[in-house]
Amino acid sequence: MINLAKEDIKHTLGKFIVTAMGVGMLLGIVLIMVGVYRGMMADAEVLLNDFNVDLWVVQENTLGPFAESSRVHEDLKYTLKSIQSIDKSEAVTFQNMQLPFENKKISVMAVGFDVYGDINPINPARLIEGRVLETDHYEIVVTDKTGFKLQDKITLGRNIYTVVGLTHGTVSSGGDSLVYVSLKDAQELQFSYSNKEIQNDRARGIINKDSHMVNAIIATTKAGYSVDSVAEDIRKWQHKSVYTREQQKIVLTKNVVEKASKQIGMFTAILIGVSTIIIALIIYTMTLEKMKEISIMKLMGLPNSMIIKMIVEETLLLGVLAFIFGNIFSHLIDDKFPKRIVLEIPDAWMLFGVVIIASIFASFIGVKKVINADPTAAIGG
Amino acid sequence: MSRQAIKVENLYKHFGKDESFVDVIQDASFSINKGELVALVAPSGAGKTTLLLMIGCVENPSSGKIWLGDEKVYDNKWLTGETRKIRREKIGFIFQSHYLIPFLNIIDNLTLLPQTNGTSDKVAQAKARELLKYFEISDKEKAMPSQLSGGQNQRVAIARALANNPQIILADEPTAALDMQRSVDVIKMLKKIALEQDVAIVMVTHDDRMLPYCDKIMKIENKTIIFE
Repeated sequence: MINLAKEDIKHTLGKFIVTAMGVGMLLGIVLIMVGVYRGMMADAEVLLNDFNVDLWVVQENTLGPFAESSRVHEDLKYTLKSIQSIDKSEAVTFQNMQLPFENKKISVMAVGFDVYGDINPINPARLIEGRVLETDHYEIVVTDKTGFKLQDKITLGRNIYTVVGLTHGTVSSGGDSLVYVSLKDAQELQFSYSNKEIQNDRARGIINKDSHMVNAIIATTKAGYSVDSVAEDIRKWQHKSVYTREQQKIVLTKNVVEKASKQIGMFTAILIGVSTIIIALIIYTMTLEKMKEISIMKLMGLPNSMIIKMIVEETLLLGVLAFIFGNIFSHLIDDKFPKRIVLEIPDAWMLFGVVIIASIFASFIGVKKVINADPTAAIGG
Repeated sequence: MSRQAIKVENLYKHFGKDESFVDVIQDASFSINKGELVALVAPSGAGKTTLLLMIGCVENPSSGKIWLGDEKVYDNKWLTGETRKIRREKIGFIFQSHYLIPFLNIIDNLTLLPQTNGTSDKVAQAKARELLKYFEISDKEKAMPSQLSGGQNQRVAIARALANNPQIILADEPTAALDMQRSVDVIKMLKKIALEQDVAIVMVTHDDRMLPYCDKIMKIENKTIIFE
């Protein structure tokens, strides 16, 4: 039995493939948009996962360093350590910086931590070259995406730092590359002032600015203790807020990336809608081009089902081909984006489902045209 | 076995109601036998296409009776739920232009309808090849319609009308787009087909020069059918 869709596509193969490639690029952008969202969610949790701690103690009434400014005293870590249920506690700083690199500035987030402390945020699995920080001063570990190499020198503040390690895939919740410095260096960079400024402050009556401040104290609990109840106990202290890891995750996903993800979701939905309309218009045009033949086929006695089958098969094939091209396209360009794109197979399958539904919906317009085609149009000139 | 190919009795066709009421065909009764080439002649707008479409089970008559072969297909209503099946099995169509399906090659154009009727690929292809040989275009079976000349395409179109072994062929001005010599060639070919394939051919034409080649001339005058 002759397959009309196959023969029609064979007849206009080039046009059909180019059309599928065009729709495929649109679908590829849909996949990229979903990938941007996945990337944001993954980026948002990198730091949280690498710290791998149970509690975040931050300034009272703030959401912590991922969402808003927070300052607490560094010695709070000793107070925490004195609690029976706490296993480890350390002070950490987070600071947005611009690193000078080949006549330009690279936006990074610097994480400061006690090099000799109990908690090291540099995930060994992400360290691809060099080593972790081993001394208190003038060493820096950077993300490979910054472009720095081992032993490169970077001037920060009044000092020169040496790159001793390179990590891969370490980014802040905002998508900036992470760099790691010692807590002392971080405090100096964040809280030290120039001599002129100190003189100015003294003239204003401000003396002894405390540079022993940090952005958060992180802690792990001992086995057998409930993280939530430990957090609840600390929450009774004055001038402090406490978040468990899960709560910080919610802060990150809800407060930090939620709006961005909603925006991306909107764009994705609009793009899927646009793709559906474009597929429908293409099928409508393809059907219009064949109206004379459709009238003749109906006049000769071909059943509607046979002609409708042709339209639906062509639409589905267009959708499937476009989906394949879309996947190829998205995988070709995903690493060209400045921020991380995470392309996941379940997302691709979900898009496949959407494309099939959209194609069936799009074919309705062509099918309606077939049903309404007048067989008498073929006769009588 | 009856020689009757088409029989029409008391056929009426009108359009519209009240003020927009238009009578097109009134009390038409005639019969056409197998092997006959009949010309249907009338001025534009007189209803010849409407009559052709009614015989072809495309247009609904207002009232009357129609037989195709010995089977009554219309008796004030279609006696079958599927008029397309009648068209597929009993009627061949030839149009002003060849109107071949452009995305099917020549042999597929010929086998499409028989295969839809349930004929096996092998049998349909054998019949198609036989017809292509009859029309002396055997070497073109894998060609696309766009690769053939106008005359070759018209022969393929006639072969297609015969591919489903029809009892009747309805031809809508098949020579309208052709020059005199080619028109005569086509009419002679139709005459030969009517005799050799034993089918009735009803052909709408405006060209009086074609009439001498026809067995009967059917005219529509004042909404009624008359034979010359």
